[in-house]
Amino acid sequence: MSNLTVSASPHVTKAGNSTRGIMLDVIIALMPALLAAVFFFGYHVLINAVVCAGAAVGTELLFGCAQKKDFSRAALKKSSVKDLSAVVTGLILALNLPSRLIVGGWDFNFYAAGAARTVENIIFSFDTVLICIIGGVFAIALVKMLFGGIGKNFANPAAAARIFIMLSFGLKAVGTVGFLADAATGATWLSSAAKSTSNQSMFLNMFLGNRGAAAAGETSMIAVLIGYVYLSVKKIIDFRLPLAVVASAAAFAFLFDALGRGSGPRILNNVFANVMAGGLVFGAVFMATDYSTSPNTFWGKMIFGAGIGFFTVVIRVFTAMPEGMSFAILLMNIAAPLIDKYVVPKPFGYARPQKPPPVTVTPPPATDAGAKREGKK
Amino acid sequence: MAESLKPSTFLRGVHPSHNKELSERAAVSVMPAPKTVYIPVQQHLGRPAVPVVEKGAAVAPGTLIARADGALSSNVFSSVSGVVADIRELATPSGYCPHIVIDNDGAGEPRELPSLDDPSAEKIRDRLDECGVVGMGGAGFPTAMKLAAKEKIDAFIINGAECEPYITCDYRIMLDYTEQFVRGAQILARGAGLDNFVIAIEENKPDAIDRVGRYIRDNKLAAAVITLKTKYPQGAEKQLIYAVTGRRVPVGKLPASVGALVDNVHTALSAYLAVSKGQPLYRRVMTVSGRGIKNPSNIWVCNGTPYRDIIEFCGGESETPAVKMISGGPMMGFAVSDTGIAATKTSGSLLLLTDSEAFTGEPGPCINCAECAAACPMKLMPMYIDSYILAGDAKNAVKYGARNCIECGCCAFVCPAKRPLVQSIRLAKKKAQGGGK
Repeated sequence: MSNLTVSASPHVTKAGNSTRGIMLDVIIALMPALLAAVFFFGYHVLINAVVCAGAAVGTELLFGCAQKKDFSRAALKKSSVKDLSAVVTGLILALNLPSRLIVGGWDFNFYAAGAARTVENIIFSFDTVLICIIGGVFAIALVKMLFGGIGKNFANPAAAARIFIMLSFGLKAVGTVGFLADAATGATWLSSAAKSTSNQSMFLNMFLGNRGAAAAGETSMIAVLIGYVYLSVKKIIDFRLPLAVVASAAAFAFLFDALGRGSGPRILNNVFANVMAGGLVFGAVFMATDYSTSPNTFWGKMIFGAGIGFFTVVIRVFTAMPEGMSFAILLMNIAAPLIDKYVVPKPFGYARPQKPPPVTVTPPPATDAGAKREGKK
Repeated sequence: MAESLKPSTFLRGVHPSHNKELSERAAVSVMPAPKTVYIPVQQHLGRPAVPVVEKGAAVAPGTLIARADGALSSNVFSSVSGVVADIRELATPSGYCPHIVIDNDGAGEPRELPSLDDPSAEKIRDRLDECGVVGMGGAGFPTAMKLAAKEKIDAFIINGAECEPYITCDYRIMLDYTEQFVRGAQILARGAGLDNFVIAIEENKPDAIDRVGRYIRDNKLAAAVITLKTKYPQGAEKQLIYAVTGRRVPVGKLPASVGALVDNVHTALSAYLAVSKGQPLYRRVMTVSGRGIKNPSNIWVCNGTPYRDIIEFCGGESETPAVKMISGGPMMGFAVSDTGIAATKTSGSLLLLTDSEAFTGEPGPCINCAECAAACPMKLMPMYIDSYILAGDAKNAVKYGARNCIECGCCAFVCPAKRPLVQSIRLAKKKAQGGGK
């Protein structure tokens, strides 16, 4: 009886339920998307994933030690990186980036011998590696750790880092082209001029992931959906939140985009394409469901999801940018605390304060004066 | 309120592994009174009882040693025969209070009151009050006071859910003292002015459902057994009333406001002993369990028996060392380290948990996963109560429901970061009342 711990409850805890376990499950759920991206876009994606995750983990490790001004081995061992959330951020960021890119003014890429300096001929994209490092450091240091680390960040680190990269660097050429795709589909559906031409084989390619896109991980619907099912079954995420995002995006795409592009099956095709294109589904499953930056109640999540769908479509349709998912997520991240402030569930047994019975006013009988007034009008 | 095929239940909640197999086969046995008992004068909800004996006074089992002080207080009786050695402040699981220390000489006969035959409701309540009967599920609410509710009562529920993991004392009472228990339940119902009552039991205790149901049928009593779904906290008063009657006890109100009363299984047994046998409440059945104890058992323990004697009686520690000693159940109980703490009217269990069972680590930061809110049977938002009260903001802690917390511990149980959420909410309750500096 010498080693008794005296602490507040929990004395017993739910088996296998830990922060690290949750993050591990998210990593597992990201694997199909990562593998699909490697399959379609090559080993470059794998390099990006490793670099992003490494940069994220390294930043969190050093930042945590710097905060405590203690770089000893013991401090390193105690670091918060053990919860694996930095790895998740790194992987999501890598899947949010193109497989290869050329940054205007840099171009430190290695090209195949004797080939033209174009994206397709890059064999090792050093530009992307640098961007990955910058993105990982930005996501962890500025978005996550500065606000207090896990659970305290106001915005999704990966979404914020993606936007930071897109806005800050002159990305001259973005190379995420499916190897099976022909030249015409190299451009993404969202940015292509032929937005209203959608056909069956295009949908199949979109579903499988054989298409061009601005980000490597968001192309394969089927891979993302496998991750979605895994997370839902393991109850890591609320399966209704991604549904809310997609449903809202479909509804607003119908209103704002599809209705103006002809009639009949074209409308439906446009709605489908809008849902499947870009990072909508990937973002809905992996980024909108981020715990820290999404509301904590069912109705809060529904409002949040609907907002993301709405802003995504608005940005796609009414602005100069082809894709708006990251911005939509960021916008709703900022709104999440507000939603949680106003959407508070009523406790069990809550009774609405009794309102006094409404005073019934019987209209006065029509008089001559009233009739006259009405008549004058 | 009829017996239904589908088990009744409440909203949300959790499913801890119940670990009742450790002690559920151990029939109730009697632990002899120890050499010295340390009887706390606070074994109930209200103010501490006032000692009426002095140092050197001779007492017998059942001698009144401290008198109730006010309506929510309760009489305290000696559990042994002997001489009062001292009255001094000693530790309880959650603080300090005066204890009456009695050296046991093992000689005197227990003092009993005359038994009552077919008493009126008022007589039952007077007897329960006189015998110091309180709710033995944990809260220690004086039973006579509860039965005297002014509202019209039409549902009297005996709480046989026993949803806390490990604890099996109520289950063993239902099996080993079926008749006394059901008769006691009948007495309690009569005390509330009712002829009929229901006994609600979780479906993981099929033999108790069977045994109690058979006794009721054989004796043609106006009672029913209701099967509850196995889920924690099925035995929480408001959740139980909802499961059985579908009524929601309004926030901040007592169950009587929806015409329902709930009493614990052991309270029913104590009521039987007090009314039909004239025995004051000075001992109870307690579950001693956990993988850290050699012989997990259900035993009659005299009030005031120190934990060290109870552990010794149950064969001492097992080979695997215990890392946590818990007074009460693992969900709602308190971790203690002092083996001198004494058993009371409300100590249903003493657990010695080993490293494989108990959590002893450090809490991590909240990750906002909202699992606590999804588990909360009162539909509160524990993560916000926690973060606001730790930032000193009692107003917002109350906004997210601190006052309505029943301290069942579901939130802390599911928390992946293992945060002590219940502790934070207790702090919020205190601060909301202007205390807890």
